Amino acid sequence: MITLDEFSHLIEVHSSDLAAWPSDLQIAGEDFLATSEEARALMKDYLELEQQLDVLPVPMFSGLEAKILGQSLPPRTPSLLEQLLEWLLPNSGFTLRLWQPVAAACLPLVFGIVLGNFYSFGVTFESDEMEYWEDELTMLSLNNYSENDF
Amino acid sequence: MMLAVVNGDQSAYQVIVKQHLKSVSHYAYRMLGNQKDTEDIAQEAFLKLWINAGKWQVEKSKLSTWLHRIAHNLCIDFLRKHRRTQLQSEILEGVEPNQEPHENPREGSEAFQRAKQLEMAIRGLPENQRSALVLCHYSGFSNKEAAVIMNMSIKALESAIARAKRSLRNELSETGIEHQ
Repeated sequence: MITLDEFSHLIEVHSSDLAAWPSDLQIAGEDFLATSEEARALMKDYLELEQQLDVLPVPMFSGLEAKILGQSLPPRTPSLLEQLLEWLLPNSGFTLRLWQPVAAACLPLVFGIVLGNFYSFGVTFESDEMEYWEDELTMLSLNNYSENDF
Repeated sequence: MMLAVVNGDQSAYQVIVKQHLKSVSHYAYRMLGNQKDTEDIAQEAFLKLWINAGKWQVEKSKLSTWLHRIAHNLCIDFLRKHRRTQLQSEILEGVEPNQEPHENPREGSEAFQRAKQLEMAIRGLPENQRSALVLCHYSGFSNKEAAVIMNMSIKALESAIARAKRSLRNELSETGIEHQ
């Protein structure tokens, strides 16, 4: 069973129309309303408030539409960023234009490969394999393969 | 439609104005309380829509939600800028209630008094409470949509609207209008 404070809060947040309340709270609200006179008084107060809010007038604003439509609008040219985003992520024909964002994403990768291929940037690469064969050849040259040993 | 506006299509812009002007102008009027300021804000809101059309993202919010957010921000900025003089000008402004003619003129004047007192009570609400009340009660937005417009959590929005209604109910009870 909900309390009066909770009931009051629910009316304030969701209105006096129980159908507008969250579905899991409607039955609890109806039960509380049926059993509590304070709840019924509260509901009556908020219902009257809402009815009075509904009849508050608003001017007709005749001429406002013409005024707004008549105002001069700045040229609607997309900014450079909008144009770039439109090219990368088009709003239409997305499947056919998928290559655009894919190509754009691959550009840094390609650039990095090319850069790394042509420039060492001071990094030396030592080959252990070459040292191994140098050592082998040195050892072979020191061996005596004369016929007298056999 | 908005895509056409992004591409500079003014006829599409005009359609959007006609679709949303009533809602935006009514929101602004209930926030600001006078016709001239409302027209200025409405005009600026649609101008901002034109300029920033490319920033609207359909997956994030409906166009009406986004447009009301623009109007909300403009109203809040205006109210904060003109805070001191706002209430004074609202007292002086008068809008005849849109009432059917009453056979008993006394009842008509009582209804008029009630309407004026309720209007003054709404003007006395803090901006965020006023905006929450207008968006949810008058503009028909859900609590979730209104929270997006006001850039706050749903819980904060619900707290604002609850406080607004409680204040109005208490104020009307004190003046004895509600129980007549």
